[in-house]
Amino acid sequence: MKDFLLILKTEGSVWTDLSPEQLQKHMEHGTAYIGNLMKEGKLKSANPVDKGSRIVTDKNGILKDGPFNETKEVVAGYFLISAKDIHEAVEIAKANPIFKDIPTAIEVHPMMPVGGN
Amino acid sequence: MSDQSEINQLVDHLFRHESGKMISVLTRIFGSHNMDLAEDVVQDSLLEAIKQWPYKGIPDNPSSWLFMVAKNKALNIVSRDKYKRQYSKEMSHFLQSEWTLEPTLNHPFTDQEITDDQLRMMFTCCHPSISPDSQIALILKTLCGFSIPEIAKAFITTEETINKRLVRARQKIRDNGIPFEVPQGKDIAKRLETVLESIYLLFNEGYSASSGENLIRYEVCEEAIRLVKIIANNPVIENKSGVYALLALMQLNASRFKARQDVEGNILTLEKQNRSLYNYTLMEEGFSNLKRSTSAKEISIYHILATISAYHCSAVEYKLTDWKSILILYDKLVLIDNSPIVLLNRAIALAKVSGAKKAISELEQLRSSSILKSNYLFYSTEAEFFIELNLFSHARTALKKAIRLAPLETERRFLQKRLSDCC
Repeated sequence: MKDFLLILKTEGSVWTDLSPEQLQKHMEHGTAYIGNLMKEGKLKSANPVDKGSRIVTDKNGILKDGPFNETKEVVAGYFLISAKDIHEAVEIAKANPIFKDIPTAIEVHPMMPVGGN
Repeated sequence: MSDQSEINQLVDHLFRHESGKMISVLTRIFGSHNMDLAEDVVQDSLLEAIKQWPYKGIPDNPSSWLFMVAKNKALNIVSRDKYKRQYSKEMSHFLQSEWTLEPTLNHPFTDQEITDDQLRMMFTCCHPSISPDSQIALILKTLCGFSIPEIAKAFITTEETINKRLVRARQKIRDNGIPFEVPQGKDIAKRLETVLESIYLLFNEGYSASSGENLIRYEVCEEAIRLVKIIANNPVIENKSGVYALLALMQLNASRFKARQDVEGNILTLEKQNRSLYNYTLMEEGFSNLKRSTSAKEISIYHILATISAYHCSAVEYKLTDWKSILILYDKLVLIDNSPIVLLNRAIALAKVSGAKKAISELEQLRSSSILKSNYLFYSTEAEFFIELNLFSHARTALKKAIRLAPLETERRFLQKRLSDCC
Protein backbone atom coordinates (compact mmCIF):
# COMPACT_ATOMS: atom_id res chain seq x y z
CA MET A 1 0.00 0.00 0.00
CA LYS A 2 1.12 3.50 -0.78
CA ASP A 3 -0.19 6.92 0.15
CA PHE A 4 -1.60 9.32 -2.40
CA LEU A 5 -2.54 12.95 -2.06
CA LEU A 6 -5.61 13.89 -4.06
CA ILE A 7 -6.06 17.61 -4.61
CA LEU A 8 -9.50 18.67 -5.77
CA LYS A 9 -9.75 21.71 -8.00
CA THR A 10 -13.10 23.02 -9.09
CA GLU A 11 -14.26 25.79 -11.39
CA GLY A 12 -16.41 27.86 -9.11
CA SER A 13 -17.63 26.57 -5.77
CA VAL A 14 -20.37 24.15 -4.77
CA TRP A 15 -21.31 26.52 -1.96
CA THR A 16 -22.19 29.39 -4.30
CA ASP A 17 -22.97 27.72 -7.63
CA LEU A 18 -25.42 24.99 -6.58
CA SER A 19 -29.06 25.43 -5.62
CA PRO A 20 -29.96 24.36 -2.06
CA GLU A 21 -31.49 21.12 -3.40
CA GLN A 22 -28.44 20.38 -5.54
CA LEU A 23 -26.17 21.16 -2.59
CA GLN A 24 -28.16 18.77 -0.39
CA LYS A 25 -27.74 15.99 -2.98
CA HIS A 26 -24.08 16.85 -3.40
CA MET A 27 -23.50 16.46 0.36
CA GLU A 28 -25.35 13.15 0.49
CA HIS A 29 -23.33 11.69 -2.37
CA GLY A 30 -20.11 12.99 -0.87
CA THR A 31 -20.90 11.54 2.54
CA ALA A 32 -21.63 8.13 1.01
CA TYR A 33 -18.43 8.21 -1.07
CA ILE A 34 -16.26 9.20 1.89
CA GLY A 35 -18.06 6.75 4.17
CA ASN A 36 -17.20 3.95 1.76
CA LEU A 37 -13.53 4.87 1.61
CA MET A 38 -13.46 4.89 5.40
CA LYS A 39 -15.16 1.52 5.64
CA GLU A 40 -12.56 0.05 3.29
CA GLY A 41 -9.84 1.60 5.44
CA LYS A 42 -8.49 3.58 2.48
CA LEU A 43 -9.02 7.08 3.81
CA LYS A 44 -6.37 8.55 6.06
CA SER A 45 -7.60 12.10 6.13
CA ALA A 46 -9.76 14.49 4.11
CA ASN A 47 -10.67 18.13 4.46
CA PRO A 48 -12.40 20.84 2.47
CA VAL A 49 -10.50 24.10 2.06
CA ASP A 50 -11.93 27.07 3.90
CA LYS A 51 -12.10 30.66 2.57
CA GLY A 52 -9.13 32.95 2.92
CA SER A 53 -6.31 30.96 1.30
CA ARG A 54 -3.02 32.84 0.97
CA ILE A 55 -0.03 32.26 -1.26
CA VAL A 56 3.53 32.95 -0.24
CA THR A 57 5.95 33.88 -3.05
CA ASP A 58 9.53 34.96 -3.35
CA LYS A 59 9.84 38.29 -5.17
CA ASN A 60 13.55 39.04 -5.74
CA GLY A 61 14.56 37.50 -2.43
CA ILE A 62 11.66 38.99 -0.47
CA LEU A 63 8.94 36.65 0.75
CA LYS A 64 5.48 38.05 0.23
CA ASP A 65 2.10 36.61 0.94
CA GLY A 66 -0.99 37.56 -0.95
CA PRO A 67 -4.45 36.25 -1.67
CA PHE A 68 -4.55 33.02 -3.57
CA ASN A 69 -5.81 33.54 -7.09
CA GLU A 70 -9.26 32.03 -6.94
CA THR A 71 -10.91 33.71 -9.88
CA LYS A 72 -11.42 30.55 -11.88
CA GLU A 73 -9.87 27.47 -10.39
CA VAL A 74 -10.48 26.83 -6.71
CA VAL A 75 -8.71 24.28 -4.51
CA ALA A 76 -11.77 22.69 -2.92
CA GLY A 77 -10.03 20.27 -0.61
CA TYR A 78 -7.76 17.26 -0.31
CA PHE A 79 -7.92 13.54 0.36
CA LEU A 80 -5.04 11.53 1.76
CA ILE A 81 -5.68 7.94 0.78
CA SER A 82 -3.81 4.68 0.75
CA ALA A 83 -4.08 2.55 -2.36
CA LYS A 84 -2.36 -0.41 -3.96
CA ASP A 85 -0.87 1.64 -6.77
CA ILE A 86 -1.43 4.74 -8.88
CA HIS A 87 -4.10 2.93 -10.91
CA GLU A 88 -6.23 2.25 -7.88
CA ALA A 89 -5.69 5.80 -6.65
CA VAL A 90 -6.87 7.12 -10.01
CA GLU A 91 -9.94 4.87 -9.90
CA ILE A 92 -10.75 6.20 -6.43
CA ALA A 93 -10.42 9.77 -7.73
CA LYS A 94 -12.63 8.97 -10.73
CA ALA A 95 -15.36 7.63 -8.44
CA ASN A 96 -15.67 10.98 -6.65
CA PRO A 97 -19.29 12.13 -7.20
CA ILE A 98 -18.20 15.77 -7.31
CA PHE A 99 -17.59 15.37 -11.09
CA LYS A 100 -21.35 15.24 -11.59
CA ASP A 101 -21.97 18.49 -9.74
CA ILE A 102 -19.35 20.99 -10.86
CA PRO A 103 -16.43 21.14 -13.34
CA THR A 104 -13.63 19.43 -11.44
CA ALA A 105 -10.04 18.27 -11.85
CA ILE A 106 -8.42 15.96 -9.31
CA GLU A 107 -4.64 15.80 -9.09
CA VAL A 108 -3.35 12.42 -7.91
CA HIS A 109 0.11 12.61 -6.31
CA PRO A 110 1.94 9.52 -5.04
CA MET A 111 3.62 10.24 -1.69
CA MET A 112 7.23 9.23 -1.36
CA PRO A 113 7.72 6.71 1.45
CA VAL A 114 10.50 7.12 4.03
CA GLY A 115 13.82 6.37 2.37
CA GLY A 116 12.49 6.86 -1.15
CA ASN A 117 11.58 4.07 -3.53
CA MET B 1 -51.05 8.66 18.35
CA SER B 2 -49.96 6.13 20.93
CA ASP B 3 -50.72 5.60 24.56
CA GLN B 4 -48.16 7.25 26.86
CA SER B 5 -47.78 4.24 29.14
CA GLU B 6 -47.21 1.99 26.15
CA ILE B 7 -44.51 4.39 24.96
CA ASN B 8 -42.89 4.54 28.38
CA GLN B 9 -42.78 0.77 28.46
CA LEU B 10 -41.24 0.60 25.01
CA VAL B 11 -38.65 3.22 25.90
CA ASP B 12 -37.81 1.33 29.10
CA HIS B 13 -37.34 -1.81 27.06
CA LEU B 14 -35.21 -0.03 24.47
CA PHE B 15 -33.18 1.66 27.16
CA ARG B 16 -32.34 -1.72 28.62
CA HIS B 17 -31.48 -3.30 25.30
CA GLU B 18 -30.09 -0.53 23.11
CA SER B 19 -28.44 1.98 25.40
CA GLY B 20 -25.43 -0.23 26.14
CA LYS B 21 -24.80 -0.66 22.44
CA MET B 22 -25.17 3.04 21.69
CA ILE B 23 -22.99 4.10 24.62
CA SER B 24 -20.28 1.63 23.54
CA VAL B 25 -20.25 2.85 19.96
CA LEU B 26 -20.18 6.50 20.95
CA THR B 27 -17.46 5.91 23.54
CA ARG B 28 -15.24 4.51 20.83
CA ILE B 29 -15.74 7.71 18.82
CA PHE B 30 -15.42 10.14 21.71
CA GLY B 31 -12.73 8.20 23.58
CA SER B 32 -13.05 6.43 26.93
CA HIS B 33 -12.35 9.68 28.81
CA ASN B 34 -15.58 11.07 27.33
CA MET B 35 -17.71 8.10 28.42
CA ASP B 36 -20.10 10.35 30.35
CA LEU B 37 -20.67 12.40 27.19
CA ALA B 38 -21.74 9.22 25.40
CA GLU B 39 -24.06 8.35 28.29
CA ASP B 40 -25.62 11.83 28.16
CA VAL B 41 -26.25 11.69 24.41
CA VAL B 42 -28.00 8.35 24.75
CA GLN B 43 -30.04 9.51 27.73
CA ASP B 44 -31.13 12.60 25.75
CA SER B 45 -32.16 10.47 22.79
CA LEU B 46 -34.46 8.40 24.95
CA LEU B 47 -36.00 11.52 26.44
CA GLU B 48 -36.52 12.74 22.90
CA ALA B 49 -38.41 9.52 22.15
CA ILE B 50 -40.69 10.03 25.15
CA LYS B 51 -41.39 13.58 23.99
CA GLN B 52 -41.90 12.91 20.29
CA TRP B 53 -43.53 9.51 20.01
CA PRO B 54 -46.85 10.44 21.66
CA TYR B 55 -47.42 13.02 18.89
CA LYS B 56 -45.61 11.61 15.89
CA GLY B 57 -46.32 7.96 16.64
CA ILE B 58 -43.84 5.18 17.31
CA PRO B 59 -41.45 4.84 14.34
CA ASP B 60 -41.38 1.58 12.36
CA ASN B 61 -37.97 0.70 13.69
CA PRO B 62 -37.67 2.33 17.11
CA SER B 63 -34.11 1.20 17.79
CA SER B 64 -32.73 2.55 14.52
CA TRP B 65 -34.66 5.76 15.17
CA LEU B 66 -32.85 6.03 18.51
CA PHE B 67 -29.48 5.35 16.91
CA MET B 68 -30.19 8.05 14.35
CA VAL B 69 -31.16 10.61 17.00
CA ALA B 70 -28.15 9.71 19.15
CA LYS B 71 -25.91 10.07 16.12
CA ASN B 72 -27.30 13.49 15.28
CA LYS B 73 -26.91 14.68 18.84
CA ALA B 74 -23.34 13.45 18.79
CA LEU B 75 -22.83 15.26 15.49
CA ASN B 76 -24.08 18.52 17.01
CA ILE B 77 -21.86 18.21 20.06
CA VAL B 78 -18.81 17.44 17.98
CA SER B 79 -19.39 20.36 15.60
CA ARG B 80 -20.16 22.67 18.51
CA ASP B 81 -17.06 22.05 20.54
CA LYS B 82 -14.74 20.67 17.95
CA TYR B 83 -11.76 22.54 19.28
CA LYS B 84 -12.52 22.34 22.98
CA ARG B 85 -12.60 18.60 23.39
CA GLN B 86 -10.04 15.90 22.80
CA TYR B 87 -11.63 12.86 21.23
CA SER B 88 -10.25 9.39 20.75
CA LYS B 89 -6.84 9.51 19.06
CA GLU B 90 -7.90 7.14 16.33
CA MET B 91 -10.98 9.18 15.42
CA SER B 92 -9.84 12.67 16.24
CA HIS B 93 -8.82 13.92 12.79
CA PHE B 94 -11.91 12.42 11.17
CA LEU B 95 -14.10 14.26 13.68
CA GLN B 96 -12.38 17.53 12.91
CA SER B 97 -13.08 17.65 9.20
CA GLU B 98 -16.38 18.69 7.68
CA TRP B 99 -16.00 15.97 5.05
CA THR B 100 -15.40 13.08 7.40
CA LEU B 101 -17.36 14.00 10.55
CA GLU B 102 -20.70 12.68 9.38
CA PRO B 103 -19.35 9.53 7.68
CA THR B 104 -17.45 8.78 10.91
CA LEU B 105 -20.63 8.84 12.93
CA ASN B 106 -22.53 6.93 10.26
CA HIS B 107 -19.94 4.29 9.82
CA PRO B 108 -19.56 2.51 13.15
CA PHE B 109 -23.20 1.59 13.60
CA THR B 110 -22.93 -1.89 12.08
CA ASP B 111 -23.83 -5.02 14.04
CA GLN B 112 -20.33 -6.47 14.14
CA GLU B 113 -18.78 -3.24 15.33
CA ILE B 114 -21.51 -2.69 17.90
CA THR B 115 -20.64 -6.09 19.37
CA ASP B 116 -16.90 -5.36 19.23
CA ASP B 117 -17.43 -2.03 20.93
CA GLN B 118 -19.33 -3.69 23.75
CA LEU B 119 -16.39 -6.03 24.23
CA ARG B 120 -14.03 -3.04 24.33
CA MET B 121 -16.33 -1.45 26.87
CA MET B 122 -16.11 -4.56 29.08
CA PHE B 123 -12.33 -4.40 29.11
CA THR B 124 -12.36 -0.68 29.81
CA CYS B 125 -14.86 -1.00 32.68
CA CYS B 126 -12.95 -3.94 34.15
CA HIS B 127 -9.51 -2.38 34.12
CA PRO B 128 -7.60 -3.71 37.14
CA SER B 129 -7.01 -0.18 38.46
CA ILE B 130 -10.77 0.22 39.08
CA SER B 131 -12.15 -1.36 42.26
CA PRO B 132 -14.39 -4.42 41.74
CA ASP B 133 -17.43 -2.63 43.22
CA SER B 134 -17.01 0.25 40.82
CA GLN B 135 -16.37 -2.11 37.92
CA ILE B 136 -19.73 -3.80 38.25
CA ALA B 137 -21.59 -0.56 38.85
CA LEU B 138 -20.01 0.82 35.68
CA ILE B 139 -20.87 -2.29 33.66
CA LEU B 140 -24.49 -2.08 34.75
CA LYS B 141 -24.67 1.62 33.93
CA THR B 142 -22.86 1.72 30.59
CA LEU B 143 -23.44 -1.75 29.14
CA CYS B 144 -26.72 -2.92 30.62
CA GLY B 145 -28.82 0.26 30.66
CA PHE B 146 -29.48 0.19 34.39
CA SER B 147 -30.40 3.43 36.10
CA ILE B 148 -28.64 4.50 39.28
CA PRO B 149 -31.73 3.71 41.44
CA GLU B 150 -31.91 0.24 39.89
CA ILE B 151 -28.24 -0.44 40.53
CA ALA B 152 -28.71 0.75 44.12
CA LYS B 153 -31.61 -1.68 44.54
CA ALA B 154 -29.66 -4.56 43.06
CA PHE B 155 -26.75 -3.89 45.44
CA ILE B 156 -28.98 -3.10 48.41
CA THR B 157 -27.28 0.24 48.90
CA THR B 158 -28.00 3.94 48.42
CA GLU B 159 -28.08 5.84 45.14
CA GLU B 160 -25.44 8.14 46.53
CA THR B 161 -23.03 5.25 47.08
CA ILE B 162 -23.54 4.01 43.53
CA ASN B 163 -23.09 7.48 42.14
CA LYS B 164 -19.82 7.86 44.01
CA ARG B 165 -18.57 4.54 42.66
CA LEU B 166 -19.42 5.60 39.12
CA VAL B 167 -17.74 8.98 39.49
CA ARG B 168 -14.61 7.36 40.90
CA ALA B 169 -14.52 4.79 38.09
CA ARG B 170 -14.83 7.42 35.34
CA GLN B 171 -12.18 9.51 37.07
CA LYS B 172 -9.80 6.52 37.05
CA ILE B 173 -10.41 5.99 33.35
CA ARG B 174 -9.61 9.64 32.64
CA ASP B 175 -6.63 9.96 34.97
CA ASN B 176 -4.99 6.70 33.97
CA GLY B 177 -5.80 7.14 30.29
CA ILE B 178 -7.38 3.68 30.19
CA PRO B 179 -7.88 3.02 26.48
CA PHE B 180 -11.06 1.79 24.82
CA GLU B 181 -9.67 -1.44 23.45
CA VAL B 182 -9.37 -5.17 23.83
CA PRO B 183 -5.82 -5.82 25.10
CA GLN B 184 -3.42 -7.68 22.84
CA GLY B 185 -0.86 -10.44 23.22
CA LYS B 186 0.25 -11.61 26.65
CA ASP B 187 -1.99 -9.18 28.50
CA ILE B 188 -5.23 -10.58 27.23
CA ALA B 189 -5.38 -13.72 29.39
CA LYS B 190 -4.83 -11.80 32.63
CA ARG B 191 -7.22 -9.01 31.67
CA LEU B 192 -9.86 -11.48 30.55
CA GLU B 193 -9.67 -13.06 33.99
CA THR B 194 -10.57 -9.72 35.59
CA VAL B 195 -13.46 -9.23 33.17
CA LEU B 196 -14.84 -12.71 33.91
CA GLU B 197 -14.43 -12.18 37.65
CA SER B 198 -16.39 -8.94 37.48
CA ILE B 199 -19.17 -10.46 35.42
CA TYR B 200 -19.35 -13.40 37.81
CA LEU B 201 -19.61 -10.96 40.71
CA LEU B 202 -22.33 -9.15 38.79
CA PHE B 203 -24.20 -12.39 38.26
CA ASN B 204 -23.93 -13.24 41.95
CA GLU B 205 -25.33 -9.85 42.91
CA GLY B 206 -28.37 -10.75 40.88
CA TYR B 207 -28.52 -14.37 41.91
CA SER B 208 -27.60 -14.56 45.58
CA ALA B 209 -30.25 -12.57 47.40
CA SER B 210 -33.93 -12.33 46.66
CA SER B 211 -35.35 -9.02 47.75
CA GLY B 212 -38.64 -7.58 46.51
CA GLU B 213 -36.88 -6.50 43.34
CA ASN B 214 -36.77 -9.99 41.97
CA LEU B 215 -37.37 -8.82 38.44
CA ILE B 216 -34.36 -6.50 38.45
CA ARG B 217 -32.22 -9.24 39.92
CA TYR B 218 -33.18 -11.67 37.21
CA GLU B 219 -32.35 -9.07 34.60
CA VAL B 220 -28.92 -8.61 36.20
CA CYS B 221 -28.37 -12.34 35.71
CA GLU B 222 -29.59 -12.22 32.12
CA GLU B 223 -27.27 -9.31 31.37
CA ALA B 224 -24.29 -11.14 32.88
CA ILE B 225 -25.06 -14.08 30.58
CA ARG B 226 -25.44 -11.80 27.56
CA LEU B 227 -22.04 -10.20 28.20
CA VAL B 228 -20.24 -13.51 28.55
CA LYS B 229 -21.89 -14.68 25.32
CA ILE B 230 -20.37 -11.68 23.54
CA ILE B 231 -16.94 -12.79 24.79
CA ALA B 232 -17.63 -16.41 23.83
CA ASN B 233 -18.53 -15.39 20.27
CA ASN B 234 -15.48 -13.21 19.73
CA PRO B 235 -12.81 -14.73 17.47
CA VAL B 236 -9.96 -12.59 18.91
CA ILE B 237 -10.02 -14.42 22.23
CA GLU B 238 -8.39 -17.78 21.74
CA ASN B 239 -8.55 -19.69 24.98
CA LYS B 240 -12.22 -19.76 25.88
CA SER B 241 -12.28 -22.70 28.25
CA GLY B 242 -12.90 -20.46 31.27
CA VAL B 243 -15.40 -18.35 29.33
CA TYR B 244 -17.53 -21.38 28.48
CA ALA B 245 -17.25 -22.69 32.04
CA LEU B 246 -18.50 -19.39 33.47
CA LEU B 247 -21.27 -19.26 30.90
CA ALA B 248 -22.30 -22.81 31.83
CA LEU B 249 -22.21 -21.97 35.53
CA MET B 250 -24.44 -18.94 35.08
CA GLN B 251 -26.87 -20.65 32.74
CA LEU B 252 -27.23 -23.71 34.96
CA ASN B 253 -27.83 -21.55 38.03
CA ALA B 254 -30.15 -19.13 36.23
CA SER B 255 -32.22 -22.05 34.93
CA ARG B 256 -33.30 -22.63 38.53
CA PHE B 257 -33.87 -18.95 39.32
CA LYS B 258 -37.63 -18.85 39.10
CA ALA B 259 -38.18 -21.98 41.18
CA ARG B 260 -36.37 -20.51 44.17
CA GLN B 261 -39.35 -18.58 45.48
CA ASP B 262 -42.99 -19.40 45.96
CA VAL B 263 -45.79 -17.13 44.74
CA GLU B 264 -45.59 -15.05 47.93
CA GLY B 265 -41.89 -14.46 47.44
CA ASN B 266 -40.77 -16.87 50.16
CA ILE B 267 -37.42 -18.57 49.67
CA LEU B 268 -37.58 -22.23 48.71
CA THR B 269 -34.56 -24.43 49.36
CA LEU B 270 -33.37 -26.92 46.74
CA GLU B 271 -35.33 -29.57 48.61
CA LYS B 272 -38.65 -27.72 48.33
CA GLN B 273 -38.28 -26.43 44.78
CA ASN B 274 -40.73 -27.55 42.13
CA ARG B 275 -38.32 -28.86 39.53
CA SER B 276 -40.85 -28.59 36.73
CA LEU B 277 -40.42 -24.79 37.02
CA TYR B 278 -36.78 -25.00 35.98
CA ASN B 279 -35.97 -23.42 32.64
CA TYR B 280 -34.85 -26.49 30.73
CA THR B 281 -33.90 -24.63 27.55
CA LEU B 282 -31.42 -22.54 29.49
CA MET B 283 -30.24 -25.64 31.34
CA GLU B 284 -29.55 -27.42 28.03
CA GLU B 285 -27.45 -24.46 26.88
CA GLY B 286 -25.60 -24.65 30.17
CA PHE B 287 -24.85 -28.34 29.71
CA SER B 288 -23.55 -27.87 26.18
CA ASN B 289 -21.34 -24.96 27.24
CA LEU B 290 -20.00 -27.08 30.08
CA LYS B 291 -19.07 -29.71 27.52
CA ARG B 292 -17.38 -27.05 25.37
CA SER B 293 -15.40 -25.79 28.38
CA THR B 294 -13.60 -29.09 28.84
CA SER B 295 -11.63 -28.76 25.59
CA ALA B 296 -8.63 -27.28 27.42
CA LYS B 297 -6.73 -29.15 30.11
CA GLU B 298 -6.95 -26.45 32.74
CA ILE B 299 -9.57 -26.46 35.45
CA SER B 300 -10.81 -23.17 36.81
CA ILE B 301 -13.12 -22.41 39.72
CA TYR B 302 -15.85 -21.89 37.14
CA HIS B 303 -15.39 -25.43 35.81
CA ILE B 304 -15.82 -26.91 39.26
CA LEU B 305 -18.74 -24.72 40.28
CA ALA B 306 -20.49 -25.33 36.96
CA THR B 307 -20.09 -29.08 37.38
CA ILE B 308 -21.52 -28.89 40.91
CA SER B 309 -24.43 -26.93 39.54
CA ALA B 310 -24.84 -29.51 36.78
CA TYR B 311 -25.20 -32.26 39.42
CA HIS B 312 -28.01 -30.30 41.07
CA CYS B 313 -29.69 -29.68 37.71
CA SER B 314 -29.50 -33.29 36.59
CA ALA B 315 -31.01 -34.70 39.80
CA VAL B 316 -34.60 -35.55 38.89
CA GLU B 317 -35.57 -35.02 42.49
CA TYR B 318 -33.75 -33.72 45.55
CA LYS B 319 -33.40 -37.19 47.09
CA LEU B 320 -31.50 -38.36 44.03
CA THR B 321 -28.81 -35.66 44.26
CA ASP B 322 -25.36 -37.19 43.82
CA TRP B 323 -23.79 -35.70 46.97
CA LYS B 324 -20.75 -37.99 46.82
CA SER B 325 -19.66 -36.53 43.48
CA ILE B 326 -20.47 -33.04 44.70
CA LEU B 327 -18.26 -33.54 47.76
CA ILE B 328 -15.38 -34.71 45.56
CA LEU B 329 -15.76 -31.53 43.51
CA TYR B 330 -15.72 -29.39 46.66
CA ASP B 331 -12.53 -31.16 47.71
CA LYS B 332 -11.01 -30.13 44.38
CA LEU B 333 -12.32 -26.61 44.77
CA VAL B 334 -10.72 -26.28 48.21
CA LEU B 335 -7.35 -26.89 46.58
CA ILE B 336 -7.81 -23.76 44.45
CA ASP B 337 -9.85 -21.66 46.86
CA ASN B 338 -9.97 -22.56 50.53
CA SER B 339 -11.91 -19.48 51.59
CA PRO B 340 -14.36 -19.90 54.50
CA ILE B 341 -17.38 -19.56 52.17
CA VAL B 342 -16.19 -22.50 50.06
CA LEU B 343 -15.51 -24.55 53.18
CA LEU B 344 -18.99 -23.71 54.47
CA ASN B 345 -20.52 -24.99 51.25
CA ARG B 346 -18.34 -28.06 51.39
CA ALA B 347 -19.67 -28.77 54.89
CA ILE B 348 -23.21 -29.01 53.47
CA ALA B 349 -22.12 -31.68 51.00
CA LEU B 350 -20.15 -33.39 53.75
CA ALA B 351 -23.26 -33.53 55.96
CA LYS B 352 -25.13 -35.30 53.16
CA VAL B 353 -22.37 -37.85 52.65
CA SER B 354 -20.95 -38.41 56.15
CA GLY B 355 -23.65 -37.10 58.43
CA ALA B 356 -24.41 -33.84 60.23
CA LYS B 357 -22.22 -34.67 63.20
CA LYS B 358 -19.07 -34.72 61.09
CA ALA B 359 -20.16 -31.50 59.36
CA ILE B 360 -20.68 -29.71 62.67
CA SER B 361 -17.13 -30.45 63.75
CA GLU B 362 -15.93 -29.03 60.40
CA LEU B 363 -17.93 -25.88 61.08
CA GLU B 364 -16.27 -25.51 64.49
CA GLN B 365 -13.01 -24.85 62.72
CA LEU B 366 -14.61 -22.06 60.71
CA ARG B 367 -16.33 -20.37 63.63
CA SER B 368 -13.51 -17.89 64.25
CA SER B 369 -13.36 -16.77 60.60
CA SER B 370 -14.12 -13.06 60.45
CA ILE B 371 -16.05 -13.31 57.18
CA LEU B 372 -18.38 -15.98 58.49
CA LYS B 373 -18.85 -14.40 61.93
CA SER B 374 -21.09 -11.76 60.42
CA ASN B 375 -22.66 -13.98 57.75
CA TYR B 376 -26.09 -15.41 58.53
CA LEU B 377 -25.43 -18.38 56.23
CA PHE B 378 -22.95 -19.80 58.72
CA TYR B 379 -25.58 -19.90 61.48
CA SER B 380 -28.45 -21.02 59.28
CA THR B 381 -26.31 -23.89 57.96
CA GLU B 382 -25.29 -24.83 61.47
CA ALA B 383 -28.96 -24.76 62.51
CA GLU B 384 -29.90 -27.17 59.72
CA PHE B 385 -27.26 -29.63 60.97
CA PHE B 386 -28.58 -29.36 64.53
CA ILE B 387 -32.15 -29.93 63.33
CA GLU B 388 -31.03 -33.08 61.56
CA LEU B 389 -29.59 -34.36 64.84
CA ASN B 390 -32.74 -33.30 66.76
CA LEU B 391 -30.70 -30.81 68.80
CA PHE B 392 -33.47 -28.23 68.72
CA SER B 393 -32.29 -25.85 71.42
CA HIS B 394 -28.90 -25.54 69.70
CA ALA B 395 -30.72 -24.97 66.43
CA ARG B 396 -32.84 -22.21 67.98
CA THR B 397 -29.76 -20.35 69.25
CA ALA B 398 -28.14 -20.54 65.83
CA LEU B 399 -31.30 -19.45 64.03
CA LYS B 400 -31.71 -16.42 66.29
CA LYS B 401 -28.17 -15.33 65.42
CA ALA B 402 -28.90 -15.89 61.75
CA ILE B 403 -32.08 -13.79 61.91
CA ARG B 404 -30.13 -10.91 63.46
CA LEU B 405 -27.58 -11.02 60.64
CA ALA B 406 -29.76 -11.71 57.58
CA PRO B 407 -29.89 -8.58 55.40
CA LEU B 408 -33.14 -9.25 53.57
CA GLU B 409 -36.73 -9.47 54.74
CA THR B 410 -37.37 -12.64 52.71
CA GLU B 411 -34.39 -14.30 54.33
CA ARG B 412 -35.49 -13.31 57.83
CA ARG B 413 -38.99 -14.59 57.09
CA PHE B 414 -37.57 -17.90 55.95
CA LEU B 415 -35.42 -18.24 59.08
CA GLN B 416 -38.31 -17.23 61.34
CA LYS B 417 -40.35 -20.05 59.85
CA ARG B 418 -37.51 -22.48 60.48
CA LEU B 419 -37.36 -21.22 64.07
CA SER B 420 -41.04 -21.92 64.63
CA ASP B 421 -40.45 -25.46 63.27
CA CYS B 422 -37.95 -26.04 66.06
CA CYS B 423 -40.35 -25.58 68.95
